[in-house]
Amino acid sequence: MLFGFQAQAHEMTPAYPKFNYSYIEGVSVTKMFLFNRRNDVSYYQIGVFTLDWKEIPFASTSKLINVKHAKKYPFYVYIRNSDLDRVGYICTISKVFKGEEQRALITSRICSKIE
Amino acid sequence: MIKKVTPLIFLLSTSYAWAVNSPITGTVQASCSIVTTTPGQYGVPNIWKLSTTPSDGGQPAVIKTTIGTADKYKVTITHPNSFSSSPSLSDTLAWTGSSVYTSGSVTAMSAYETHKTVVGNTTTFDMTLAGTTFFTVASSASYGYNRAFPSGSYTALILAECIAK
Repeated sequence: MLFGFQAQAHEMTPAYPKFNYSYIEGVSVTKMFLFNRRNDVSYYQIGVFTLDWKEIPFASTSKLINVKHAKKYPFYVYIRNSDLDRVGYICTISKVFKGEEQRALITSRICSKIE
Repeated sequence: MIKKVTPLIFLLSTSYAWAVNSPITGTVQASCSIVTTTPGQYGVPNIWKLSTTPSDGGQPAVIKTTIGTADKYKVTITHPNSFSSSPSLSDTLAWTGSSVYTSGSVTAMSAYETHKTVVGNTTTFDMTLAGTTFFTVASSASYGYNRAFPSGSYTALILAECIAK
């Protein structure tokens, strides 16, 4: 059997985040958690999209985050209040870099939905 | 003697009642994890073809998803239609591929294969049940009209997505 039980998972919570007022006027914030149990990936890119997958501007500590293997990484996503009605998804996608000695053929993306 | 003991019994019985009624609370959040169980490997059955089919010397990719709460996510898997890295290629590539439900922790998950939707090279599975599911992703590329692939290493990316509904 090819099925192994290696720890190779990408996970993000919550599935349905809620935005709250931030300390910046006119900006709302939500807190997300990324779990990186993929030992072949250490970078993930954050993206915010409408329900029809158009990009929405946002701010975070960094849009490309370095998450060590087997670590839980909290991050904040800041959105202008004027964009709140348009926000559909917050996603993280694994990044594979050229030149890395790896054979990861699978890019994983997890998207939480704003209800 | 009786007057001194009575208040003590009362206190003990009160604290005992608190212990019995202490609630234990917890919250289960909907969650999805994508596990890259087996990365694919291309075999070279002939000079103009790369294939993950085992009879071609390849190995299909296996992706495991674990859904924490039923009917909260859909999974989409996109098999490749280009190389992310390869030697310089001057001719056209013909790509084929598939994403197939393989097995699951719940018997009824076999219906995922029947109800999947395929648009282009993207396959969508509606994850209506909680539990673990395995998918197998196959890919092959043919170069030109039976032209030989230039020597070098080739990498193509499969995109596996978990999207909250």
